[in-house]
Formats: sequence, structure tokens, C-alpha cells
Amino acid sequence: MFQSIEHVKQALAEQQYIASDEIATVLFLAEKLGKPILAEGPAGVGKTELGKAWAAATRQELIRLQCYEGLDETKALYEWEYAKQMLYTQLLRDKLAEVLADARNLSEAADRLAQEEDVFFSERFLLPRPLLRAIRTETPSILLIDEIDRTDPEFEAFLLEVLSDFQVSVPELGTLRARHTPGVLLTSNNTRELSEALKRRCLYLFIDYPTVEAELRIVRLKVPDLAPKLARQAVELVHRLRSLELKKHPSISETLDWAKALVMLNANSLDRQTVENTLSVLLKHEADILRARRALETGRLTGDGGDEPPRPRPGMPYRPLN
Amino acid sequence: MEQRIVDFIAGLRAAGVRISIAESADAFRAVETLGVQDRDRFRIALRSTLIKEPQDVPTFEQLFPLYFGADAPPAMLNSADDLSPEEMRMLAEAIRQFTGRLREMLQRLLQGKPLSQEELDQLGQLVGLRQADHPALSRWMAQRMLRALGMPEVQEALQELWQLLNQMGMNRQTLERLQGLVQANMDALQEQVERFAGASIARNLADEGRPQAGPDLMHRPFRYLSDAEAEELRKQIRRLAALLRSRLALRHKRGKTGKLDAKATLRANQRFGGVPLDIRFKQRHLKPKLALICDVSTSMRHCAEFMLTLIYELQDQVGRARSFAFIADMEEISQAFAELPTQRAVEEVLTRLPPGYYNTDLGNSLATFSRRYMDAVDHRTTVIVLGDARNNYNNPRLDLLQEIKRRSRRIIWLNPEPPAMWGSGDSDMLSYLPLVDAAFEVGNLAQLTVAVDRLLSS
Repeated sequence: MFQSIEHVKQALAEQQYIASDEIATVLFLAEKLGKPILAEGPAGVGKTELGKAWAAATRQELIRLQCYEGLDETKALYEWEYAKQMLYTQLLRDKLAEVLADARNLSEAADRLAQEEDVFFSERFLLPRPLLRAIRTETPSILLIDEIDRTDPEFEAFLLEVLSDFQVSVPELGTLRARHTPGVLLTSNNTRELSEALKRRCLYLFIDYPTVEAELRIVRLKVPDLAPKLARQAVELVHRLRSLELKKHPSISETLDWAKALVMLNANSLDRQTVENTLSVLLKHEADILRARRALETGRLTGDGGDEPPRPRPGMPYRPLN
Repeated sequence: MEQRIVDFIAGLRAAGVRISIAESADAFRAVETLGVQDRDRFRIALRSTLIKEPQDVPTFEQLFPLYFGADAPPAMLNSADDLSPEEMRMLAEAIRQFTGRLREMLQRLLQGKPLSQEELDQLGQLVGLRQADHPALSRWMAQRMLRALGMPEVQEALQELWQLLNQMGMNRQTLERLQGLVQANMDALQEQVERFAGASIARNLADEGRPQAGPDLMHRPFRYLSDAEAEELRKQIRRLAALLRSRLALRHKRGKTGKLDAKATLRANQRFGGVPLDIRFKQRHLKPKLALICDVSTSMRHCAEFMLTLIYELQDQVGRARSFAFIADMEEISQAFAELPTQRAVEEVLTRLPPGYYNTDLGNSLATFSRRYMDAVDHRTTVIVLGDARNNYNNPRLDLLQEIKRRSRRIIWLNPEPPAMWGSGDSDMLSYLPLVDAAFEVGNLAQLTVAVDRLLSS
């Protein structure tokens, strides 16, 4: 449990996660109010990383549910272990015969069997999936529901019950309540709009690309081998790339990959040749690379002759799925 | 403070942000937890509990300082604090040269007396602040209030005052200090007025409340929509899309057609000892491919706008949608939708294609379509034509529509006019009618919703 917002920041920093004021405040509130956090923002700004850092900082288990289209309850919540049930029935056949041996007729045998059925529908045969695990763990845990926007709307509706009451009803067993309220972090890449009901239950956190200074701190922390001057140049160049109109803007993780690549290549300055050779680490679309090359040639990226102010990045569009 | 937050939430709602009661309760709990000492944290506490859409963040950031700028007016300094009696006497004498309101104002600036609530109210009344109902007006209103306060004259008078004091032999340093102090007080005064104007306008907005789209608005014909009503419908349409989307998704899920899913069936029937009692099928997601051809001439604007918004909000239920707009000639507009959020894209397209009169030419547009964009149509594509088929007596080019029909899965025509009007005057609807698979009247949002629902579910 965090004592204060400064404590949150410090604990996250120990996990090598640099949290902005906003992130720290929201995280603190989420713990205090017991509410889930919904983190939205462009891909690769560290939303998932936040979940991992949160768990590590509070020394709790991280339970991760990766969402995809077609995810349903049996994969997210629980499933009966039919195979195990069958096996037990087979192995216990003798015992069953014994129990039923002195039954006078069929209905009495059925009654006796019914008395024993709790054996077969108990938590012993319940295969817990991430959601149930998060609720039933002995120690408090952090539940990371990653890329919630990829699921179907009906799964979202089903999540509502779990997230608002932290309880799950299993028809054969009754309602299972949470032993501890887990900390919940939902992430979304904004590929589709989430339902209002879900948003209403969450604290909303929009994580955008960090400022030059913040990103520089991240690079310095994660890739300490890169020379400070070079690191600054690299981060500034990434920021200029983000101001271009690209299909996919370079994310923080790509900045870090690039920084590592620069270390590997023993680069000591960001000349055009080096940048052009390593551009494919930052940009993942052919058209984007071409555009960046053109910008390089006109000197807009390296900062020489760039009188033109960078164009503001258009707001996050909801990208069509296809 | 609590009242302040309630007012703020009302103001946000008035500006079009949807906030539920549960969310405002969360906001109070968050504020209780964090306290109000740190303004930035207070802001984040409110924002993370109240704002759930990225597009609402600017509204929040705009309104926040208006409500929580500062409770106390900015501090003003009193010049009397560091003047010697001799200098005070000089100052009093110099001020005596001015009369009436001007003298009052000079004294106020020198003594650092902020405006009282009554004075602010009076000023507001003078410039009609009560009627201002848009946040963008606040700066202009503040300027008018300052002018009503006589600021331009005061500026001139100040120059005279400095000269007078100079002539009277006031110490140069003291004079400079005095000038700086009066300037600071003037800035503070200005800020006070600006805040007052902003807060009043926010209050006006909150009082006004938001007109609710009643059920009758859904049935109001597109051509009789006022601007305000169209705006209201635009807000409704996204909720409508969400509704349609979950309905469609459920229908897909429950549809029991398609191939046997051996894996799922085995798994499902383990509990029956492997006897297949519960048969599972592979989900066959047959999402339609769409080609939308929209008439965006004056008579069709609203209808086209709502249709495009609805289709693109439903993007995940549609395999692939390409859209085209025409008045006199056809043009592809899909690009705009790939790059911008739906609402902005629709605006962009409609401003790019200015409405014209009496030049709609569907025949020519179809010719362009078949020449350039025929690749958008294949045997899986549903072609939707959205138009009133009023062709200004140009050649309707039935042959081209025939050709499109041959290549496509089906053609659906959406016409905002009631069927009784089809074929009257320059309408070619009756000629097109035999060539299309279905034609719907979509004169209002309710009819449009029904049409889209049917389109995506069959």
C-alpha cells in the first residue's frame, strides 16, 4: 500500500519506471478508492509496463489477461476440468460401488449419489483463469487486463460484474467473493470506443508520449551506456519524427531499441548515414521510412536548416481495424 | 468548496461532457482522499474521475481555471506602505488635479483596492455578461468590462500623473517603484475581471442546461432540422452506433450457422463422456463489404452526414468500407476517414465539397465511378446509394447502374424522400428502382437506424 504520491513515484522509480505526476496521482487514487484504472494512449508509451512496475513496486503477484477477439468466459474466468473429473470417477469406481451397494432400488442409489456430488463440483476441479485467480489468490495481486479494446463488446459487459463487485458466480458453487480487492489496470490502444458503463467504473488515465526531458530520463535510465549528448540528440530526433505525419509513430520502446542499437554500433554522433541505416529500428512501415528519409534530406529532422516549426501531431484517430 | 465542485460538474455537463452521478461521487471521494491543498493534484483527481474521453480533456482544461482559478482575488499592493509623509503629500496633491471617476480609479490603483463583488456585478450588467453563452467570449467580455471601467482614460491620466510628480520633484527611484507597483495592480485588476467574466459565463452555461433530444427528434425529417437540433442529433448518433454495434455483435455470436467446430465440440462434450450432445459451430463472421455513394448536395447534407457517421462508427462490424461523394462529379472520400476521427472527417469532407444548387448530376458521377473506382465493387460488396435521385433532367445512365449491379452482391438505395414523391419532377427514382435490390426511405434518424441495422444484419 502506498502512503503518499511521492511514495508511489519513488517505488515506481525503483522498478525503473519514471512516472509523471499524473500517473502517480491516479495510481495512488486507485489504491485508495479501490477502483480500476483505464489507461489509454498510443501504442508503446508504457501502459503495460506500468502494470508490471506497479506489481513489482508493491511486491504483489501480477496476473495478466491478454485480450483478443473471441476471448470468452472459459478462457478468462474459469473452466471445469472435465478430464480430471472423468479420471476421478474412473478411479473411484470401487468406492462408488461400495457406497451404492446396499441401496435397495434405483432412486435410493440416485439419492445417495446426489449426496456425494459436492465432491465432483468443488474448487478441486475448477480450473481458474486469470480473472478468477486474481479474485481468489491468498495474497493481494495486481490484475492487468491488456488491450481490452480487442475483445467483443459482450465480454466487456461481462467484465463489468467482476470489476464493480469483485465477485464471480459459478452456478454449481455459488458466488465466489474476492479475498482481497486486486488492483486492476486496463489498457486500451484506442482501436475502438469502449462502452460508457465500463469507463464509468474506472479512473481514466491518458498516457501520451512524454516530453523530451522525460523521455531523455527514461533513455538514460534504461540505456546508461549511451553518451549523454548522443542520447539527447536521439530523443530530439524521435520527437521530430513524431511531429511528421506517419502511419505509426515511434514509441518509447522503439526509442529504447534505437538507443541500444546506437550503443551496439558504437555510434559517436548522429550523422545522416547512421540515422539512415538504423531508421528501420524506429519505423515499421516502408512508406514511413521513405517519408523520414525525405525529411532527412531536406534537413528537417537533424535540426539544421529546420526553420519550419514541427507540425502539431493530429489527435489520436480511431484507426479502422482493417 | 463542495458547492464549487458541484457547479463545476454542472458546467462540464453544460459543455457537453457526459458525467454520471456515480462519477461525480467518485470525484468527491478522490478529492477527499487527496485534499485540496495541491492544486495540480486536485485537478488530476477531478480529471481522472470525471473525464473518460480524450476529446473531453480540452473542455475540462478550459473550464477548470474558470471555477478554481483562485478564491481570493489576486493580491494588490498598497503604495502608502513605503512612502515617506512628504511623498504622500506630493501624491495626494497630484491626484487632486484629477476629478470624478478618474480620481477614484487612480486612488484605487495606488492603494491596491480590488473590485468588490457588487462593482463586478454592475460592470457585468453594463456589458451584458448575462447573455454571453460561449467560453470563447470571456476574453472579449473582460475587455469590454475594463473599457467600461474607463481603463484607456486611466492609462492617459497615469502618464499625466507621473509627469506631475516628476515636476513636483519626486525622487526618481521612488517614482519608478510607484510606476511598477501601479502596473502590477493594473494587471491584477485585469486578471480579476477576466476571472469574473469566465466564471460568469461558465455559470450561464450551467444554468442554461442542455436540451435533451426527445424521441420526436429522432423522427424529425432531416430537411426541417434546425442547426441546434442537428448538433443534438450528432451527439446522439454515437450512442446509437454503440447500441447497434453490441446488437450486431450478439447476433453474430448467436448465429448458429457455419461449419462444425470439432475442437470446441470435443471440449464442450467431455462432460457427457464424449457423447456429442452439444454441437459447436465455427463462427462465420461474414462482415459486409460496403461501397457508399453519397449525394452531398444541399438537400442531402444532413442525411449524408449522419449516414457516414453511423457507418464509420460501426467500422468494426464492417469488413471494408469505401465511400464516395458526388454532386456533379464523383470523388473518393475514404482517405479522410482513415486519417481523422469520424466526426472530424465528416466535417472535413463537407467543407471540401461546397454545396451547390441545381448541378447534381448522378449520370456523370456514375460514369466517373465506373471509369475510376470500379475496383471497389466485387461480388461481396454491398453498394449503397444515398440520394434523392433528382438528376436535373440529365441522363440517368441506367446502363452504368446495371453494370454495377452485375458486379456487386446487391445495391441498396436510401432515399430521404417519401415514396409518394419518387418519380415526380426531375426525380429518376422510378427508373432506378427496378435495378436496385432494396430501396428504403430514410427521412429521419429513426428510419436511417432501421435501414443500417437491416443492412448489416442480412
